[in-house]
Amino acid sequence: MTDVIVSSKPAGPMAAPPTSERAKARRETLRVLFRRPAFIVGTLIVLGWIVTAALGQRITPYDPFNQFFAGHLPPGSDHLMGTDRLGRDVLSRVMVGSRDVLIVAPLAALLGVVAGTFLGLVMGFYHGMVDNVLSRLVEAFLALPVILVALLTLVVLGSSSVVVILVVGILFTPIVARTVRSAVLSERQLDYVTAARLRGESGLFILSREIFPNVLGPTIVEMTVRFGYAIFTVATLSFLGVGIQPPSPDWGLTVAEEYTNMISGIWWPTLFPALAIASIVIAVNLVADTLQSVTNE
Amino acid sequence: MARYISRRLLLSLVTLWLLATIVFIIANVLPNDVGRTILGPFAPQESVDALNERLGTNRPIFIRYVDTMAGLVTLDFGDSFITGKPVLPDLMAAVARSAKLAGLALFLTIPVAILAGLYAARRRDKLADRGIVLLGVTSSSIPEFVTGTILVVVVGVQLKLLPVLATPPPNADIPTQIRYLLMPATAMAIVYFGYIARMTRSGTIDVLQSDYTRTAAMKGLTTSQTMRRHVLRNALIPTVAVIAVQIGYLFGGIIAVEKIFNYNGMGQTMLFAAQRKDIPTLTAGAIIIGIVYMLATLTSDLIIAWMNPRIRLDSDS
Amino acid sequence: MDNQYDKVRRSTTPLQLDVVEAFARGRLTRREFIQRATVLGLSMGAIGAVIAACGGSTASSAAPVVSTAPGASTAASAAASVPAVAGGTIRVAIQRPAGPVDPIAMLDLGNYGTTAQCFEFLCALDKAGSNITEGLATKWTPNTDGTVWTFDLRQGVKWWGDGKPFTAADVVGTMERLVASGNAGLKGVLGPGGAVAKDDKTVVFTLLGGNGNFPYLVSVFNPQSLITPADYVAGTTLDKRPTGTGAWKLVTFNQATGATYARNDDWWGGKTALDTTEFIYFDTIGPMVTAYQGQQVDALVQFDVLSGKALFDDTNFNVIATEAALHRQIWMRTDKGQFADKRVRQALALTFDRPALIQGLFQGKAQIGNDHPIWPGYPYFDPSIPQRVQNIDKAKALLAEANLTGLTADLHCGQLLEIPDLATLLKSQAAQAGITLNVKVESLDTFYGAWWCPPDPKDPPCSGASELGIVDYGHRATPDVYLNAALKSKGIWNSSQYASPTFDAAFSEFQTSVSVDAQKAACTKLETILNDEVPIGLPYFYNYLAGSSKAFTGIYASALGQMFLSSASKTA
Repeated sequence: MTDVIVSSKPAGPMAAPPTSERAKARRETLRVLFRRPAFIVGTLIVLGWIVTAALGQRITPYDPFNQFFAGHLPPGSDHLMGTDRLGRDVLSRVMVGSRDVLIVAPLAALLGVVAGTFLGLVMGFYHGMVDNVLSRLVEAFLALPVILVALLTLVVLGSSSVVVILVVGILFTPIVARTVRSAVLSERQLDYVTAARLRGESGLFILSREIFPNVLGPTIVEMTVRFGYAIFTVATLSFLGVGIQPPSPDWGLTVAEEYTNMISGIWWPTLFPALAIASIVIAVNLVADTLQSVTNE
Repeated sequence: MARYISRRLLLSLVTLWLLATIVFIIANVLPNDVGRTILGPFAPQESVDALNERLGTNRPIFIRYVDTMAGLVTLDFGDSFITGKPVLPDLMAAVARSAKLAGLALFLTIPVAILAGLYAARRRDKLADRGIVLLGVTSSSIPEFVTGTILVVVVGVQLKLLPVLATPPPNADIPTQIRYLLMPATAMAIVYFGYIARMTRSGTIDVLQSDYTRTAAMKGLTTSQTMRRHVLRNALIPTVAVIAVQIGYLFGGIIAVEKIFNYNGMGQTMLFAAQRKDIPTLTAGAIIIGIVYMLATLTSDLIIAWMNPRIRLDSDS
Repeated sequence: MDNQYDKVRRSTTPLQLDVVEAFARGRLTRREFIQRATVLGLSMGAIGAVIAACGGSTASSAAPVVSTAPGASTAASAAASVPAVAGGTIRVAIQRPAGPVDPIAMLDLGNYGTTAQCFEFLCALDKAGSNITEGLATKWTPNTDGTVWTFDLRQGVKWWGDGKPFTAADVVGTMERLVASGNAGLKGVLGPGGAVAKDDKTVVFTLLGGNGNFPYLVSVFNPQSLITPADYVAGTTLDKRPTGTGAWKLVTFNQATGATYARNDDWWGGKTALDTTEFIYFDTIGPMVTAYQGQQVDALVQFDVLSGKALFDDTNFNVIATEAALHRQIWMRTDKGQFADKRVRQALALTFDRPALIQGLFQGKAQIGNDHPIWPGYPYFDPSIPQRVQNIDKAKALLAEANLTGLTADLHCGQLLEIPDLATLLKSQAAQAGITLNVKVESLDTFYGAWWCPPDPKDPPCSGASELGIVDYGHRATPDVYLNAALKSKGIWNSSQYASPTFDAAFSEFQTSVSVDAQKAACTKLETILNDEVPIGLPYFYNYLAGSSKAFTGIYASALGQMFLSSASKTA
């Protein structure tokens, strides 16, 4: 999965609308969103996983770390999802496995979006030499696939959750920067910006007070999209062995540890975490997709 | 046109240089002992020192950087630290393997995805459209290592329909090679289907809503004629752009698939090089992926310009 | 019968006689006798005569899984028992060679297996997979105190690379190269100029000191001791200069995908049943198993229990399980930190539930360890030391005495096979005694360089090691390397910084003993000291697992990644 430039046209009014109108527009957007079943389902699933992650061991049927039963028991009444190779209850581990990915992925996405927005604002507004140089740097990063660079860096640096957050966040920055930059570029040509300039307001002021609120829309959409990609990327990195490290019950890691057993017919320790990954990425993407289509209309 | 292409190529060179530098920095960010990594922790110190001396990895980092860059400029990619043989032939073989897999994946996805996207756009907001969008979102959300694993077990081992190792025997004919690559290509195709279908759909919707199309409809062109002549060309523009951007990923990013199917494409080669600190292979590999990406984006921009001459080539994209 | 036995007794050298008498008096089991006698150069016929005369003793509990009857000609019996089909090829899954295919400098199992197809050793692996037998040497004889060994070389052997004959000069050249490269097996045993060609067919080794185990060091169990031509330049790789004396000729080699070999028609061992072999390279074991299940490979050079569960259940797969000295050491710093007090180390060792570890991690395919690296398969192993078992109460008591109740420590390990799972199980076992272990898993390279033996400080070696960690050790035919490198003061792999003059003295004694009694006595001392001081926890020695489809027969393998296909054929 790679990083697609999402918005094909930026959304911006001809003149910067006053604050109360912006708030009304936001409320209207929310109302439209909640009428879409995709949005509701997606949000519910994500919230469900967040609650599970927060409650953690308090709601698991067994201790996911220290209780060992017979290895590879098939799903049954005692263990709804069976046991893994060391005899730990799979359902408990799937529930607790949400915790690591729901901490690492959003932080990585947040880092990418914050840094990328800042970079994109600077690049788009201060068009010229600065933009040219930074654009080349951005393009260099975009040429290499995120997974590959993340993998290489983690192999060299050794992986831990903090390093994963930093690496994935930094690698997302150029993509976000590009999106924000194109949004800023179309904004800055608009009348209200010229008006502000003529009024003698400083660049920084224009950037923060006038332009930024208008690119906030695409940025928020971008944030949700990045969140989905972050989960996907962190899960893949964990599968490759350089993401979240054992003995965490992280889903991607569990798939890596158990998938070779699928050949013996032991499908449950692999399938359930895989479904968990799929479910949360689908949910996040549903939310992001509806946000996109609503804000682009 | 020629001026445009030459300007793009020049800028690409700058980007490639930056790329090589980034990879070099990554490989050397931590003080490391290349000789020790290659020979392992149980090797006697004398062998490690001898190897470092032979490879030149005990020189200061700046000198090594200049040396590497100078080599790249003269197209001398150097010898691998591991095999001692020139880097380029083995890398090109890996590129060829990745290209075959990527090609098959795109061949499987593009026609189906574009047709699905067009179909969905024409039946906007009806059940078919909602269904295709949902399918697209779902399929692009399932990581390839999940679909790959399930395919291997179900199709490869249980049903024994397709081989589980993607590397075909040497000198196999094309149908055999396709048979071997079919499963990993399908795992990749499932993910891309979602993106390409949704991109095509949104591009088509934009075009259908545009003034240009409405004018054409008013001029009396029938619906299918409209679709074919005006809409298709413009609708596919974002799709072409997406495919170009994905190319780099198709070459180096599908390493999870390569792992499951034991296929030695660019991803595995680069990973192997990183683990063994084989810096010449890493830098050369990064440049090659970068070149592929540059060529892909250049080609897609040219195609887009051909499809819609009204898009100026040197406007910001 | 007794006449035969007397004949043997009269014709043997003092060392060989010592072994014979030890067996006669019941100080060695039959298996141990065969092993020791072979190493000391007694012929199969002589061994058979001795055993027949003495009626044999009860087999020890540590008998190997697969064994050949003594005195039987191994190749003939193996071939005669199963009808062989001539022709065909076999596809073997093997770990990718980690570096250049350099027979002198190689250090990984992928390379060992790759080179062992073409080159050969003075002492080869016997079909049972655990003893040595004639290879390029047909006979070897020690002198009185094991300081001089004479090897008779096989005649009529040719190098398939250029057709030149194999002579003593090749052996001498190989030994010089190995000594110059600092080969770990020969270090301190053989010096420069130690190997001399008495004539074209005999080589005399003069060792730096008496050593009763020398033949192991020029056998399959010292993987780099492959014999290469006299004019072989150090640093040449097999693919750059393909040659060898072995059953297979290298045809193609591609580090990315694999290698193919073809029959060597001039091989001294006869005509191999198979025409060609194909080795396919993999990075991890999972895809190897999948490939076998998908019928794209026929044999696996090595796999582990956790990844290979499917193979045990497969009725068409023949598992070759060799008991081996493969193990993990849980080192604890003895010089500083929380484990400096012996009682704390004993406490941790007392939390190990060894049978549970063996069952959970290896499905029973391992032997129990007693916190010292003397594998039960070594002939001088003393089983009389009491086996440490789990005793939580005693562990708690010891911790209380040492004032470390509620001890918390970081347990570092690398990402290799079952080690992260071992760490997880140890964590929960230690928790029963109130010990909290924080498991920290890293990639192997990072782990070795940061926690096991960091390059700084350099002296003493490994003094930068963490206070607790798990490290892996491969199979060795003698425990010398384990004792010397990991446990002797200032050993190069001594992560526990164990420095005990008593141990060093006992180890010296062990190294220089050549008679059976002396070796056993020294070993008993070593086991006792280590079990008491516990610088390393050692819960198990696990079996080396290889295997093939039952469509093939006659395959045998060492515990060092070398799979031998010269007797392999398709099953009729």
